[in-house]
Amino acid sequence: MEMVTRLVGRPPSKLTRFFINSGVALFTFLLSIAALNFINDLLTRYPVLGWIGVGLFALFTLAALGMAWREYRAWARFARIDAIQRQAGAALAEDSLDKARAVADGLVALYRDRPELEWHRKRLADNRGDAFDARTLLTMGETELLAQLDQDARREIEAAARTVAAATALIPLALADVAAALAANLRMIRRMAEIYGGRAGAVGGWRLARTVITHLVATGAVAAGDDLVETIAGGGILSKVSRRFGEGVVNGALTARVGIAAMEVCRPLPFIAQPRPKVGNLVTRGLRGLFGSDERG
Amino acid sequence: MGIGSTLMAGIGLGDPVIRLGVTGLSRAGKTVFITSLVANLMDRGRMHALRAAADGSIKAAWLQPQPDDTIPRFDFERHLAALTGPEPHWPEGTRHVSQLRLSLRLDGRGLLGGLTGPRTVHLDIVDYPGEWLLDLRLMEKDFSEWSAEVLDRMQGRPGAEEYQAALNGLDGDRFDEPVAQRLAQTYTAHLHAAREAGWSDCTPGRFLIPGEMEGSPALTFAPLPASFEGGRLHKEFRRRFDAYKSRVVKPFFRDHFARIDRQVVLVDVLGAIHQGPRAVEDMRRAMADILTAFRPGRAGWLAQLLGTRRVERILFAATKADHLHQVQHNRLTAILSAMLREARDRADFSGARTEAMSIAALRATTEDVIHQDGQELPAVRGRLLDGRQAAFYPGELPADPAAVLHPARDGADRWLDGDYAIMNFAPAPMTARPGDGPPHIRLDRAAEFLIGDRL
Ligand SMILES: Nc1nc2c(ncn2[C@@H]2O[C@H](COP(=O)(O)OP(=O)(O)OP(=O)(O)O)[C@@H](O)[C@H]2O)c(=O)[nH]1
Ligand SMILES: [Mg+2]
Repeated sequence: MEMVTRLVGRPPSKLTRFFINSGVALFTFLLSIAALNFINDLLTRYPVLGWIGVGLFALFTLAALGMAWREYRAWARFARIDAIQRQAGAALAEDSLDKARAVADGLVALYRDRPELEWHRKRLADNRGDAFDARTLLTMGETELLAQLDQDARREIEAAARTVAAATALIPLALADVAAALAANLRMIRRMAEIYGGRAGAVGGWRLARTVITHLVATGAVAAGDDLVETIAGGGILSKVSRRFGEGVVNGALTARVGIAAMEVCRPLPFIAQPRPKVGNLVTRGLRGLFGSDERG
Repeated sequence: MGIGSTLMAGIGLGDPVIRLGVTGLSRAGKTVFITSLVANLMDRGRMHALRAAADGSIKAAWLQPQPDDTIPRFDFERHLAALTGPEPHWPEGTRHVSQLRLSLRLDGRGLLGGLTGPRTVHLDIVDYPGEWLLDLRLMEKDFSEWSAEVLDRMQGRPGAEEYQAALNGLDGDRFDEPVAQRLAQTYTAHLHAAREAGWSDCTPGRFLIPGEMEGSPALTFAPLPASFEGGRLHKEFRRRFDAYKSRVVKPFFRDHFARIDRQVVLVDVLGAIHQGPRAVEDMRRAMADILTAFRPGRAGWLAQLLGTRRVERILFAATKADHLHQVQHNRLTAILSAMLREARDRADFSGARTEAMSIAALRATTEDVIHQDGQELPAVRGRLLDGRQAAFYPGELPADPAAVLHPARDGADRWLDGDYAIMNFAPAPMTARPGDGPPHIRLDRAAEFLIGDRL
C-alpha cells in the first residue's frame, strides 16, 4: 500500500513532465502523418479500401472528441465542487452570510437532479431564512444535503478497506496484491467523486487520485507505521498471529486514510457539524467479519 | 461547581441546574429574550445552531415549579401570548422579580451519553426590572459620596431645577416626614423625567419601580448637598440610604445573582445610538460599572456573596438586531465589543469564556432592499406599531467602532456624519409550522454558547 501511494503520489519533476509531453506530442504527430500517408497510399491504390479507411479515421476522431467532451464535463463538475469548497472556506473565514447563501445555492444546484434528496432540499429551502450566520447556514446545508452522502461514502470506504485487507492477506503473489490494492483504491476514489456529485472520467479519475494522494501527503497521513496496527481493535494480536494478516490490517487502515482524504477532496463542504470519519472506526467496521472478530465489535 | 455538580448528579444527588443570569438595563430586552428562549427551547424547530436540539438529544422540555416558593412565577404564557398571539404586541415593562424553571430531558449521545442514559437538566432564569440593576453601583458608596455624585450629574437634566428649588430654604437641622416625602417625590419625578429623556444612570432604581415597597421609609430619601452634613435631615437620610442598601439592594443580588453559572448581558446598542452620543456614553459607563461589580475574584461585596463561585461563560449581546439588515450585524457586534471592552477583557482574564454577538430574541422584520437615488440600500421591512407596513433603512453603522465611541466620550451633542434612526416595529403576526418556536436572530447560537456544553 505504501508503494501504491508512492507510485501515484510522486509528482513528476518539471523536466520529466516536459520530456513526457514533448514525447507524446512527437509521437502523435508522427503517428498522424504515418496514418495520413497510409490512407493516401490506400486511396490511390484501392479507392474502396481507402474510403473505408477515411470513414474509420473519421469515426475514431469523433469518438476521441466524444471522450474529450466527457472529460471536459467531468472536469467542469469538479471545478464546480472546487469552487463551492473555496467559497465555503471564504464564507466561514469572513463569516459572510451572503457568501454562505451563494454556497447553499451552489449546493442545491449541484444536487438538483437527485430525487432521493428532494425532501432535504425542501427542508433546506424552508429553514434557510432562519440562519443569520455563515456557519449556521452551512451547517444546515451540510446536515440536510451531505449527511446522507457521508454515510454512503463511509460504507464505500469500509468496503474498500475490507477488499484491500483481504487481498493483502490472501493473495500470495508479490505484485498481484499491490495491483489489487491499487485497483480497489482507484475504484473507491472514483466512487467518492460520484457520491458527492463529481463525475470521474478516465483522465479526470487519474488526476483525482493524484489530488487525493497529494492531499494525503500534505496532511502527513501516509507515514503510517506499525503503531497503526496497535490502534486498531485486535490488530496487535492479529499481527502476532500472522504477519500477512497484520499487513492486511495496515493496508486496510491506509486505504481508509486514502478514503477519508478522497472524501475531503470531493466533499463540497468542509466537515462543520458532521463528524469526520475516523480511521479506527472505519477499519473496525470494515474488517468486522473478515477476521472473525464480529462478536467483539 | 461544574465538575462537582456533575459528579453529584452522577451519584444521584439531584439533577444539574444551570442558573442563567440575564443582565440588562431597562428596555434592553430581557423579558422578550427569556420568553423567546424558553419558547424556542420548548419548540426547537428553529434552533439549528444549538447542537443538542439539532441532533435530537433534547427529548423534551417542560416548565416546572420553580425552586423558590416566595417569588412569583415568570408569566411565560402571558408574555408568549402577547408576542405570538393574533394581535402581537410587546410585553409591558417588568415591575417585579419573577422566576422560571425549564427542565430539559436529554438522551445522551456518544460515549458518555450511552453510559449515563437519559438525564434531566434544569435551567433557572430570573426576570426583574432593569432599573434595579443600577443599584449595584450604590453598594460601594456612602450617602455623602452618592449625594455629591448625583447632584453633580443632575445639572442640565430635566427636573433638576425643581429639585434644587426644593432643597433651597430647607432647614437641615429639622426632620419631619412630610418634608422628606416631598423631597423624595421631587427627586423621583426628576428620575422619571431623566429616564424619559434617555439617561440610563438613574439611581436608586427602586424609586422608578418601587415594587411592593412603595412609600416605605427605605424609599423615602433623596440626595443632599454637603452643606447639610451634620444636620438631622442628613443623618436620617443617611440611615435610610444604608437601610436601602442592606435591606433592599443586597438581598436582591444575593438571592438572584449570587449563584449564577452563565450570564448574558443584553445591551440595546441600537437604541442608544439612535438617541445620540450622550446616551451611548451614558450607557457605556453604566454597563462598565455594573459589570465591574460582577468582576470575578474581586474582593468586593458582591464577590463575597459570590464566594469562590465563578461565572463560567458570559455572552455580550446587542439586542434588537432585527432593526438592521444582516450585512450590518458584524458592525453592530464590533461596536458592542468596543463598548464593553474592559469588562470583556477582565472576564477573559479571570478565565471565563466570553463572546459577543448581535441577536434579536424575536425577529419582527424581514430583509428588503430600498432603491434610492440609484443606490441599493440594505433595509428591513416590518409592521409598525400602528399596523402599517414599512421598509426602513436605519443608516450605515461605521466600520470602525471608534467613530461611535469617540464622539460619545468627548461629549458631542449629535453624530457628525448623519443620523442613525430606529423605527419601532411591532412583532410580526406569524404562521408557525408545528414544532417551530418564534422567529429570532442567532438566539440558537446564543443558547449554544450559554448552555450548549451542559446539554
Ligand atoms: N424588534 C425587536 N424589538 C425588541 C426585541 N426585544 C425587545 N425589543 C423591544 O424592546 C422593548 C423592551 O423589551 P423588554 O424585553 O420588555 O425589555 P426588558 O429588559 O424586560 O425591560 P424592563 O422590563 O423594563 O427591564 C420591547 O418592548 C420591544 O419594543 C427584539 O428581539 N426585536
Ligand atoms: Mg422586562
